[in-house]
Amino acid sequence: MKWLLISSAVLYLASFRRPIFAVALGSGLAYLASRGLSLGRLPLIGPQDTLAFFSSSIGLMALPFLYSGGASAERFFTWGCGLLAGLFALLALPFPTLNMPLPPILDIYWFELHVALAFFAYALFGLAALLGALFLYRGGRQLLDLQYRAALVGYSFFSMSMVSGGIWGYYAWGTYWLWTPKELWTSILWIFYSLYLHLRLKGQAWDRGFAWLGIVGFLVTLFTYLGVSMLMKSSHSF
Amino acid sequence: MLKRLYATLCSLNLALWLMAGVMIALAIGSFSRAGMASGMNDMPLLIWLQQAPLSFSWWLWLCVAFLAMLCVNALVCSIEALRKKGRSIAPHLMHAGFLLVVVAHLFSAYGGFKQQLQMVEGGTIGFPEGDRVLVERISAEYGPMGMMSALRADLKLNGEVQGVQPNHPLFHKGYGIYLKDVALTPRPVALFEIHREPGSLAALLGALLFTAGNLMLLAQRKGR
Repeated sequence: MKWLLISSAVLYLASFRRPIFAVALGSGLAYLASRGLSLGRLPLIGPQDTLAFFSSSIGLMALPFLYSGGASAERFFTWGCGLLAGLFALLALPFPTLNMPLPPILDIYWFELHVALAFFAYALFGLAALLGALFLYRGGRQLLDLQYRAALVGYSFFSMSMVSGGIWGYYAWGTYWLWTPKELWTSILWIFYSLYLHLRLKGQAWDRGFAWLGIVGFLVTLFTYLGVSMLMKSSHSF
Repeated sequence: MLKRLYATLCSLNLALWLMAGVMIALAIGSFSRAGMASGMNDMPLLIWLQQAPLSFSWWLWLCVAFLAMLCVNALVCSIEALRKKGRSIAPHLMHAGFLLVVVAHLFSAYGGFKQQLQMVEGGTIGFPEGDRVLVERISAEYGPMGMMSALRADLKLNGEVQGVQPNHPLFHKGYGIYLKDVALTPRPVALFEIHREPGSLAALLGALLFTAGNLMLLAQRKGR
């Protein structure tokens, strides 16, 4: 079923129009569904599954912005979302699939909730960065409002992911907190978006700084997700 | 003088700088291999802070200092905002949740406990109050790929047998007994971890409070 992921990546990269984007998302979701059905669980382990999940999360979270938000008329935004989702679908392709059953320690709903919510949040932070870039390029306060909305919903998902991760950790390891690089960077990311949301209270004089912060936030997100897993030893590895 | 101090303590600028400070301290800590590898997770944090050389722990002291000031800032900010009528309570519920989570960490940093035990069938785990838990049976199942797919230990406490598995610990008087690993040959042996996490309830309450405030904020921002 890997052809579904390949076609999803190709369609995303060519998604200058919304219908193409929707088909790309459908293809990505069909791939995840086929993986889920064959594994009997959510495909959330290993680089291929998580990158494919991240790609579809971007597609899914972008839909409301593309079809009802103020950015719906922006063709650049549609393609930007497609580029972002397509890039992660492409990154997933070289990795082998892990078809093993869930290790006992991960076999709990809190784990699946924790990971799924984190990817929804990462996706929204990516969309916020795109909207920030569009604002810096073209201006228009509506884009900044959308960036705030994306980041706020992403922050909410991320907070709930941290809560569910803490509950899982308590049942799995006996503690809701471990001193590992992943936990530290998760906290950094959460504080970063807390700072971002507080900065909004400074008013319009900070609009450009606010947009830039939305872009930097996605870089912190990528480091938290990929950088820590690749460069640091942690209890979380994808 | 006091008025100026109060104004500084509840200022947004101070909050932004303190959040930046906490982030920088944590980022430094994440790259400090000495700090991460020196048993931080094996003992209550306050004991680790007392024992670890300052060259290992300075980033954490810095983080704690910023965090303490951030807590004061959040508290004063919420008090100040709630004194004014007509303000939404959502952000302040989030502040309260954050403060409770910090308090929870403080409880755990002071009174946390962790110990690993390797036990065979028939062995007992003793608790400070005199209660004893008997390891009745240790078992494991292997999947088709040779990986352990399930592990279990049956523990007898006060005449009642309860199964302990990964993600299903046995709780007793504030302690949790966690099954970490099992080996069946040459004879069944189980690795247990005993944990006490005094901050867990406060952390859960803080998380619920934060989530409630967050959902209220989302509802208020909807369509705006």
